[in-house]
Amino acid sequence: MLRLPKTFKGGYRFKNYTGQAAAILQEAKIPSRVTIPLRQGFSTEVKPLVGIGDKVFAGQIIGRDDSSISSPVHSSVNGVVEGIKKFNYFKREIGMVIIRATDESKEVRRLSGYAAEWWKLSNEQIEELIYLSGISSLDKEGIPTRFKSSIISTSDVKDLIIHGIGSEPYNISLELLLERKNFLHFFDGVKILKRIMPKCKVHLAINAHKRKLVEQLMKLSCELEWLDIYPLEPKFPQGYDEILVPTILGQKFPYGYSAANIGVVVLNIQVVLGVYSAVAEGMPLVERVIALCGPHFKENVHLKVRVGSSLGDIITDRVKQDAPLRIVLNSLLTGFQLNDFSLPVNRTFSQIIAIPENKNRKFLAFLRPGAKRDSYTRAFLGNWLPWIHKHPDTNLHGEERPCISCSFCEEVCPVRIIPHLLSKYVTQGIIDETLMNYEIFNCIECGLCSFVCPSKIPLLKHMREGQEKLIMQGCDRTQCILPYFDVKGIEEYRGVTKL
Amino acid sequence: MQFIKNILNNLDSLTQKNRFLNKFKPVLLATDEFFFGTPKVTALPHIVDFMDIKRFMSMVIIALLPVTVAAVYFWGLRVLAVILVSYAFGGLVEVAFAIARKKEVHEGFLVTGLIFPLTLPPDVPLWIVAVGTMFGVLFGKEVFGGTGRNIFNPAIVGRVFLSISFPKIMSTHWRIPLVDAVTSATPLSLFKGEGIITSYQDLLLGLNPGCIGETFRLGIIIGGLFLILIKIVDWRLPLAYLVTVAAFPFLSNRIFHTQFAPALFQILSGGLLLGAFFMATDPVTSPFTKPGRWISGILLGILTVLIRGLSGYVEGVMFSILLVNALSPLIDTVVLQVRYRKR
Repeated sequence: MLRLPKTFKGGYRFKNYTGQAAAILQEAKIPSRVTIPLRQGFSTEVKPLVGIGDKVFAGQIIGRDDSSISSPVHSSVNGVVEGIKKFNYFKREIGMVIIRATDESKEVRRLSGYAAEWWKLSNEQIEELIYLSGISSLDKEGIPTRFKSSIISTSDVKDLIIHGIGSEPYNISLELLLERKNFLHFFDGVKILKRIMPKCKVHLAINAHKRKLVEQLMKLSCELEWLDIYPLEPKFPQGYDEILVPTILGQKFPYGYSAANIGVVVLNIQVVLGVYSAVAEGMPLVERVIALCGPHFKENVHLKVRVGSSLGDIITDRVKQDAPLRIVLNSLLTGFQLNDFSLPVNRTFSQIIAIPENKNRKFLAFLRPGAKRDSYTRAFLGNWLPWIHKHPDTNLHGEERPCISCSFCEEVCPVRIIPHLLSKYVTQGIIDETLMNYEIFNCIECGLCSFVCPSKIPLLKHMREGQEKLIMQGCDRTQCILPYFDVKGIEEYRGVTKL
Repeated sequence: MQFIKNILNNLDSLTQKNRFLNKFKPVLLATDEFFFGTPKVTALPHIVDFMDIKRFMSMVIIALLPVTVAAVYFWGLRVLAVILVSYAFGGLVEVAFAIARKKEVHEGFLVTGLIFPLTLPPDVPLWIVAVGTMFGVLFGKEVFGGTGRNIFNPAIVGRVFLSISFPKIMSTHWRIPLVDAVTSATPLSLFKGEGIITSYQDLLLGLNPGCIGETFRLGIIIGGLFLILIKIVDWRLPLAYLVTVAAFPFLSNRIFHTQFAPALFQILSGGLLLGAFFMATDPVTSPFTKPGRWISGILLGILTVLIRGLSGYVEGVMFSILLVNALSPLIDTVVLQVRYRKR
């Protein structure tokens, strides 16, 4: 079904940043040692099923907990368990299984019971395959199955949103993910998901600028009345649950709560491909395609990486070492800064971005034409020469100054709050119901306000500060949401990729 | 570049030794930042916009350049002296406050220092420029707590102060551009006194008497559109202002049979365009909400036409901007209350 491109108010489109990952897939070597976190993606920490000295094979389930909301964890190499330790991993203490690889074979043991003709399997078999492969732990709601892999049950899902928008400055390449036979696999994956969530309507949101892809999808989808295609403008932060739901479904979002509360599950394209390979090929989730983006990688390509490889294994040989750099996970706006290279890769990685850490001062920087600069305003040459690649760096590009109420932050705010006003309240210590009235709890922490501010005020930080102080005073976000929504009391779940 | 760096380094070491000179550190810091930018990096988000306040303000100055150059052409090199005096004495107040507060010097002054002389008559004595700019910066900005906290546009405060304190000098000494002849009549007072409407082409090109920067209207329009195009200025307020100024006399002439000047003449005379594009749109003193900008534009238009048509003054732009500046917080509050009223 053809719809006009929908979009939302606010947001900002990051155009043409240098060092987008090309649609080339390389395979990383099998690492000599992997560290597998027992908590990955949408899942509580699972109990290890192996002990020190045990022999494991690639694809073997080494952690599983059927009593809590979780999905199994696999060994990604053939090897021997060396240790089970707790590490600080993205601000949480998480148990990890350390496995020394004994060979370099790329074979992965398949799950039992998979079938290339998946439509012959029963729902229970499909759900079991999805659960056992671990794919059900991805994205903010997980994939519901009958095995407690998500907070929502399969029959409660009213809408399933699958998105491949790519609204970040750096994105994984859709062309690569959906090339040739993968495209058909993706479509089968969608059908599998529809099969296990029979009551849902599937909404497929795709970057409107990928015309060919949109056309192909339209052709395939026109005979399925449960599937809608939405070409969306790739404005940041369109890929967020909080923005996808209002744009696509026209529904209000219970900010701060999971989309599962209103019967919505949001998945991305790589997950759907994973569902296909789990059900039709029996592949457990032991590999991840990661896009290496940004000007400080020698080659901007995609890399197939085993879960549990250390960052050092992937990055050290692939970045330019000559200048200081900052390595960021998944998103330049909200992502984690990766400093410790001994940390392992997990299932939720999709982009690793390397940009220069620019502490250099520049002579009369504010007077330069700026052909390579990106700005919300159009005051740089780069805004008028869109074909020139923009060079991002971490410099502040100016001193912190008092707010001049230019209201750029209000214009870009995707949830229509007024960051500069709230920030003034917070910095002056006026913490009361006014803040709640002005909807401070709607903030989805996309970071755009801090990005556009010409006075370089850390608005995002102030928003968080305001929320924390309000909560300390006994105000709560539930007071803003509960009277207006019939939420099922499902607390918000924050994946590891979001701070 | 290295040369400037050396000078600054030397000055820096000097201030560290001398306790008295140490007080001037903010000035040194501001100069240093002006030339060399910042070594600071951002925490989260990992990238920030390249736009900063310096660029923001220099864009406004660039937009004012056509007008300034035309002013020098029309009124002679004396204009440069006026601008220089305005910068020097206004800067003095700004720096004094920065030192007293031990805070950095802010760039907002760079715009005030240029806009203020553009609103003065070409024959204005230099000491009056000095008094006006100091008064404007002091009572228009610094007493409220500096850039970002002022209620009134400092340039307008200075200008209003001057026209009330020195009415003779400020409103009778006009000159015809390019000719060395003194006159007492601007197009607006000609209309008020004798009902003469000056040719629109002359008004656009600035061939009539008027303030230093308000006569070359073509340049003002180009500069204003430039600012709107690069998103430094929001288009809503100037549009609302100009449309109201055009529509209000048209309607009221029909309904109440009063004699307001015709629409196009209203727009092209006096300081209206300069005020609409460069002064009413000052982000600090205009409402920050979008409906608020529409409202304030409409209020400005009505007030300007009323003051021009019915009061003893010939020009109403600066008074109406000052009045609406005072109303902006109220307008914002009302807009916010409507927007966030309980569902």
